[in-house]
Amino acid sequence: MTPATTTPDMELALPARAANIAVVRHAFGALGEAFAIDQQILANIRLAVTEACTNVIVHAYRDGNEGSLEVLATLLKEKLIVVVRDQGPGIAPRADSPGLGLGLPLIASLTESVLLGRDDDDRTEVRMTFPLSPARA
Amino acid sequence: MTDTPLPDGPPTENSVSLRLANGPLAAPVLGRVVSMVLARADCPMDRLDDALIVCDTLSAHAPAYASDGHLTFTVATSTREIELRVCELAAQGAVKLLADAAVPGVGNVLERLSDELQIEQAGDDGSRESLILTLRFG
Repeated sequence: MTPATTTPDMELALPARAANIAVVRHAFGALGEAFAIDQQILANIRLAVTEACTNVIVHAYRDGNEGSLEVLATLLKEKLIVVVRDQGPGIAPRADSPGLGLGLPLIASLTESVLLGRDDDDRTEVRMTFPLSPARA
Repeated sequence: MTDTPLPDGPPTENSVSLRLANGPLAAPVLGRVVSMVLARADCPMDRLDDALIVCDTLSAHAPAYASDGHLTFTVATSTREIELRVCELAAQGAVKLLADAAVPGVGNVLERLSDELQIEQAGDDGSRESLILTLRFG
């Protein structure tokens, strides 16, 4: 995955547990307020980020060990780049998945682009780009 | 994106690490994250309110002492306390930040609302500082 060089405006690192999704959602609510992001666009961002974080919690640490969840957000002109990272084994089809498998398609439908891969430190990441102009959302 | 890890390593069981660009994000994001973490820790309302005043004070004054254009916080809770660290401040930044919290007629807001205050040196040459505030409840 091609790394961007910009330092994130917001970076969160927290244990990958369900309760912390609310923390992430509130942080994005505050980010939207600070950057005056359109409410509908912010709702889409929060939904996509929630899905990505849920994927980390459900799929990344299946061995029972609790790992970390990292969320980075970078404002670039009319776009918001959000990266959700974990230290799990990576994204792969799962026959015993407890979900409906709608998470990634939903993320794709809410974003301008989504990239799945691993970063230079071999962490799994989902990199989402959101347009911030309502006309392009 | 930079791949610099947050300063205190992986999060512990009830902790959140937060790095924010120096600017309008600090106050709203820090306040919301701290309030969520404290609500989960069953913190009483009066101490939650105190913690948010502490967050507002830190957000107002810490940007002047950020060492790299970012503000870094860690928030850790137990059943009886919250520890809030303001990390990676410039040299003497923690002392100055603490001094800035003095309000005429009220006293020092951070000292009055915190049960414990510490300043830690960081970096090989001590060029970074952390201000550590502990608020107890329960």
